[in-house]
Amino acid sequence: MGGQRAQLVDERDSQTTQAPGRRPSAADGPPPELIFKRGLRPAQVARELWGARELVRALAERDLRARYKQAVLGFAWAVLTPLALCAIFTLVFRRAVHVETEGAAYPLFAYVGLIVWQFFSNTMNQGALSLANNLSLLNKVYCPREVFPLATMLVATVDMLIGTAVLGLLFLIFWTAPAVTFLWVVPLLGIQFAFTYGIALVLSVAVVYLRDVRHLLPIITQMGVFATPVAYPLAQIPERLQELYVGVNPLGAVIEGYRNALLYGQAPDAALTTIAAVSSVVFLVGGYLLFKKLETGIADVA
Amino acid sequence: MSPSQTLPLGTIRTDQVWKRFKADQQRMLLRDKVDSLARRLRGEKGEDWRWALRDISMHIEPGESVGLIGSNGSGKSTLLKMLTRVMYPYGGVIDVRGRIGALIEIRAGIHPDLTGRENIYLFGALLGLRRREVAGRFDDIVEFARLGGAIDRQVKFYSSGMQMRLGFAVAAYLEPHVLLVDEVLAVGDAVFQQRCLDRMREVAEQGTTIVFVSHDLPAVESICRRGIWLEQGSIRVDAGIKDAMAGYRDSIEAQSEAGGRTGEPLQLLKHEVRGEDRDSLTTDEPMTVELTLGGEYRGDATLHLGVSEGTSSPIFQISHEIRLTGGDRQVACVIPRLPLPRGRYTLWAGVYSIGRTDGGTLMSWHSVGQFDVFGPMLDSPPRAVVLAAPVFVPHHWEE
Repeated sequence: MGGQRAQLVDERDSQTTQAPGRRPSAADGPPPELIFKRGLRPAQVARELWGARELVRALAERDLRARYKQAVLGFAWAVLTPLALCAIFTLVFRRAVHVETEGAAYPLFAYVGLIVWQFFSNTMNQGALSLANNLSLLNKVYCPREVFPLATMLVATVDMLIGTAVLGLLFLIFWTAPAVTFLWVVPLLGIQFAFTYGIALVLSVAVVYLRDVRHLLPIITQMGVFATPVAYPLAQIPERLQELYVGVNPLGAVIEGYRNALLYGQAPDAALTTIAAVSSVVFLVGGYLLFKKLETGIADVA
Repeated sequence: MSPSQTLPLGTIRTDQVWKRFKADQQRMLLRDKVDSLARRLRGEKGEDWRWALRDISMHIEPGESVGLIGSNGSGKSTLLKMLTRVMYPYGGVIDVRGRIGALIEIRAGIHPDLTGRENIYLFGALLGLRRREVAGRFDDIVEFARLGGAIDRQVKFYSSGMQMRLGFAVAAYLEPHVLLVDEVLAVGDAVFQQRCLDRMREVAEQGTTIVFVSHDLPAVESICRRGIWLEQGSIRVDAGIKDAMAGYRDSIEAQSEAGGRTGEPLQLLKHEVRGEDRDSLTTDEPMTVELTLGGEYRGDATLHLGVSEGTSSPIFQISHEIRLTGGDRQVACVIPRLPLPRGRYTLWAGVYSIGRTDGGTLMSWHSVGQFDVFGPMLDSPPRAVVLAAPVFVPHHWEE
């Protein structure tokens, strides 16, 4: 050891243990067969979503608690908005335009449509921003991303339930009982949920990639309430276009179905409801696949 | 190598993982998309890509603790994000077995209007815990975050330190098979940092696989047994933590030396570091540093000398006033008992003028070169205890 010189070690390239075969590769990219592809196995997706059910609940709970924590009127807001719209519609469409409701009280007629529309527009508006508002979280924590729009739909569902309680009140006021055909509501709800969730999925991921979509939301909301038979019956749309219409907007058939079932004591129109059901499944599956495909890049653009 | 192969829980495998980002990021407006689409249609190159990770293959066995080190932009955090499954690779296979816990600062997810208690349950759900499980650990979490009575207060009334600790504490009690830690020690005060390190040690001893990313090299060294050094997106070294650290530290110093200083009034012409009797340096023995300065400057100045170990902050620094007379000037500094344990160190020097207000830098503080010290190894501290700097303290024990 004595003979060892300890001068300043001036080695720029100090010897480092290079792991075998781990040299920085000169190749410009991975071999093509290794390029990542998103594989979706339905069983796995379903299992993951089921595993995240508590998260959906917790997120919805967060939104509900936070929303009403500092609002004096609290949950009353869930009722006031559709009621106010209902009053306006009654004034405008009943008195001024005089929409034909075939014997049903107009406020009831409009309110049924408004509950559906309110549910849709709440889910769409909140759901579209549900990813964008949680980007910092998405960048750090893994969870199935589709729970965020799903949670906003759950919040909208709670609002809808409150709105339905008020519907009961309206039935009392106008002294009519819902018809026994009201059980048709169940399959119609399925169509309503499937379509709404499909739209919310697409919009939520679109907002992350394209900020412009944010500005589209108010336009869709404002036009949609008139483009959907909320204030008027579906019959106002020409007969030959109705099938095409409910294919594009299943909510039309849903609202019409509710009115038939609750107010007129009839079964929903079979053909239109089937078209709406098929269409809403297409929206749901298509939206889900698009969401899952684009989801992989969220952390890259966030 | 195929994902279907059964690997024990806690295993991490990456095979030929590549990741790229757009070089021209940021604006995400419809207009930009239209622009790039138009460019692509005209046959020009649509987008400019930059590789963030190239061909990363690493196999980590259950229970290993691995430190990911490397300079800024070397791809450490990107790799960690892909292990967390937040980000997806462009190519290659990533396989992480078992429950993944990420010890990260999740303050952003705290909802200000909710109470601490509500937030803890929300976090738990986000991290994949059942409500029951959170309830079972609730007291530990509150204790870890030192929240005490504030737990039922709205989070917006918390101090920022409390907010950070809250998010962190939930993550710390996940009990995952794989724990990923990204640069968390910047969070909180010294007491809380030590608490985090202790928690990591506990988790490591329970057999959890740990991947730790930090620029705090001593902290990484105190937790990890294996080190992976990333450089510009590739694995440069994958070895024991000491070897990986040594390589990385050398490269940092090489870089800081490479930044040349020309045009300064003083130049360091020659430098020598030696022991007294022999040429080699030994712990607790004398050390002499001889410097030769050259330059036109005349006047009083302070000469600073320092020694560091792989970081920019020196272990110690000493200074001396000298009078420069415009020619070559030799200065020697003798340290009678060198307080450094065995290792490789870097010598730093700088000269600054006295009594002048015009800047005053004659030779800016820079690393001059490296030297080796022979002697005893430093006793190792308990795991997860971080030594700020290696210092040899002569001592004896009595019983």
